[in-house]
Amino acid sequence: MDNIKTLTINDRSNKTRKLVLTSILFAISLVLAWLESILPPLPIAVPGIKMGLSNIAVMYTLFFVGAKQAYGIAILKSGFVVITRGLIAGVFSLTGGILSVSVMLLILVFTKRNASYSIVSVFGAITHNIGQFIVISLLYAGTNVWFYFPVLLVFGVVTGLITAGILKVIIPAFKKLV
Amino acid sequence: MKFIKKTDLIIIAIILLVSAVSWFTYKYFTKDEAPKAEIYYYTELVKTIDLGSGNDVHFSIDNEPDVIFHVTADGTIRFEQSDCPDKICINTGELSRPGQFAACLPNGIVIKIIGNKNDDEPDIIIGSSGGQ
Repeated sequence: MDNIKTLTINDRSNKTRKLVLTSILFAISLVLAWLESILPPLPIAVPGIKMGLSNIAVMYTLFFVGAKQAYGIAILKSGFVVITRGLIAGVFSLTGGILSVSVMLLILVFTKRNASYSIVSVFGAITHNIGQFIVISLLYAGTNVWFYFPVLLVFGVVTGLITAGILKVIIPAFKKLV
Repeated sequence: MKFIKKTDLIIIAIILLVSAVSWFTYKYFTKDEAPKAEIYYYTELVKTIDLGSGNDVHFSIDNEPDVIFHVTADGTIRFEQSDCPDKICINTGELSRPGQFAACLPNGIVIKIIGNKNDDEPDIIIGSSGGQ
């Protein structure tokens, strides 16, 4: 667990700094979610499958701030979705968010942080969409959502790699700021 | 942490393989013969449509008059119009194979395609041509 500590900012800074950083990342996650909503629709329109740009902010939080804060952002974000887009959309966001943060955290713990950004991001993207599929099958008609499961997998790989690429570019820039 | 590792490529290849295998397996086992479409309003089955009827119809359901469905003569169904913000339901396009579905989540409507071979299915086909 020692190597986890050295990677967080916990050692060399105080709670306030962590709090401010988390708040900024939360704001960034909301902006990214908004940005995604104004982008042209995806070529594959399958309900529940999303690009997941805001996972960039969630991953940064998970890697450099802490697991608690990453869960915090996922929960706060779904609260925001409830206010802006209604309760059901919020349930989607919460289930996908919690599931993906949990899986990404498990990967980090089990590999002792030796996993790459890309693979964490790919699994985050896939499990976020799986979470939304679970909600669809529970709330709507017990639909056989797994017909689109192959699409979900391929799409998760693609978007996971894209978000990992963006994260890779952002990390050095963001580190200079904070 | 590294950006990408060699083992990642293997894992990604496995994911893509699983995806391809499940896709083609499913396709192989569902050579459909005139399937039916079910329309749900949340968990309530509102309408069942026989896609093999050969009629071309537009209709809506009482729960959401602003959502218009289109059944084509060659056996597909799609969301034609909807008042939802994201239009994912419309962009999903035509459905014809068992297991496919399209959803207008803001309106709580799901179209689901089911195969015709389940004989235990209750036979409540509401006429697709008389349903407007």
